[in-house]
Amino acid sequence: MKPVKFGTFLFTMLIGLIFQLYPWSNAGIIIRPDFLLVIMIYWVLQAPYHCNIGWVWFAGLLVDLSTGSLLGQHALTFAITAFLGLIYQRRLVLFNRWQLYLYVIFLFGVQRGLILLLKLFAGGELPDWTYGLPVLSDLILWQCMIIWFGELTRPKKL
Amino acid sequence: MLKGIHQQLDPQESPAFFIQGPKPFSRLMFFCTLSLVMMAVDARFDYLSQVRQWFSTALHPLEVLASAPNEWGRNINTYFTSHNQLIQDNFTLKQQSLIDNAALQRLATVDAENAHLRTLLAGDAPIIPQATLGEVLHMGRDPFSNIITLNRGSRHHITPGQAVVDEQGVVGQITRVYTFTSEVTLITDKKLSIPIQIERNQLRAIAFGEGKRNTLDIPYLPTSVDIKVGDKLVTSGIDGVYPAGLAVAVVTQIKQSQDSPFAKIISRPIAGVNNHKHVLILKVPESPAINQSSENRQVLPRNNAQHLDQSVVEVLQKNNAAVDPHPATETPVLDAPSSEPGAATPAVTPGPETGTPTGNTTQGNTLAPAAPEHP
Repeated sequence: MKPVKFGTFLFTMLIGLIFQLYPWSNAGIIIRPDFLLVIMIYWVLQAPYHCNIGWVWFAGLLVDLSTGSLLGQHALTFAITAFLGLIYQRRLVLFNRWQLYLYVIFLFGVQRGLILLLKLFAGGELPDWTYGLPVLSDLILWQCMIIWFGELTRPKKL
Repeated sequence: MLKGIHQQLDPQESPAFFIQGPKPFSRLMFFCTLSLVMMAVDARFDYLSQVRQWFSTALHPLEVLASAPNEWGRNINTYFTSHNQLIQDNFTLKQQSLIDNAALQRLATVDAENAHLRTLLAGDAPIIPQATLGEVLHMGRDPFSNIITLNRGSRHHITPGQAVVDEQGVVGQITRVYTFTSEVTLITDKKLSIPIQIERNQLRAIAFGEGKRNTLDIPYLPTSVDIKVGDKLVTSGIDGVYPAGLAVAVVTQIKQSQDSPFAKIISRPIAGVNNHKHVLILKVPESPAINQSSENRQVLPRNNAQHLDQSVVEVLQKNNAAVDPHPATETPVLDAPSSEPGAATPAVTPGPETGTPTGNTTQGNTLAPAAPEHP
């Protein structure tokens, strides 16, 4: 596939931010995917020449500002998640679809787990089981990203 | 041939060591350190609030854009409300307005009488706060904190520490103010505490948010205390932030365990936080001039509000708590203006038994057993 334009990447980031800022209702809050996270992780794996850990970290900072939480919390978890994604970036293209799904769920689960840890350190209460639900909606969003912007790059058949 | 293969490769297919820039791991280390430093600075100092302000102002157009579909949906919905519905609503509102007006007339009379009696007793004028109408923009985006965002900010002269109420009762307190929006910490949040009074017998206590569910907790009341399920809790007005007499919660559960001298009292907030659109933001009342008496000043309890927004403390100190109309420690003197010793000290603890200010996280060490009946 052709390399993605930098403008496309920035535009999707902006759209993700707008969805992040969208005022969700009560039920929506429970199943709301982490828009920015999914979009940034997708680009880190798909277009590492545009989107590096720094960009993902910045996106996390924007999420921090939008939620009004401690500055740097989401940024930290986003950066770690992006790094975990990058470690296996070369191998991801060899995964079949289900392995890839598992890997993506693992990534987003790690991010949510890290946020939970940080919040618990800060004296937050343990949330109920619905806290894990957004990982599934993250996966749906991930599939949407793949539909729109193509599968993760596969090596060409030589 | 190898060269040919190499030329066919896309840029993103070049091996990792061809990618420009530092290695991912060193990048990760750098950004992790940066975030940890930021978290520490944000938690402990007030340097980053300006950055926050600046960013949130920059994000404001996007927020408006994001909430536009909702607005349109609501407007379209309003537009297509049926004629009958409107007539019915109008009728109900008129009825309500009649009832309210009658009550208001009585209120005016009682107010005048009250003021008169207070002047007879040389007491302080009651605090009647002014209010700004605000609209809830969105519920918090963070499942851990009970925060809602309002569409009023520093442009509308909102300051941190102001109380927020709806038509039923207390909703919470403004804890962070941006240019166009402000954040309200709900009374169910762990960080917030609110001085209350049981309406039935005027017993004073402090309610703390529990943070998890939609409940409040009233700790440090002995098991023998006179409190029943269904008791209504109202603000006592001794903190100077919340005017007295606003409904806060209803007691739903009282558990008495053998191993604790205190009862576990759970109550449910009266103000429906999840379903209202408009709230009132009350002005923090100017505290009346207080004679500074240095004798018999109380020893103030240690205030270790660690993760309390510093601005709230400042505001609370600035608008130091109003005078308790019924100091339980001393008999009321009829010919001298009641002055609360210690109220002039820059502390956030107004009275001997008011305990913690709103938002304080100190628990227990300040709450003396409240006098069951005031003089």
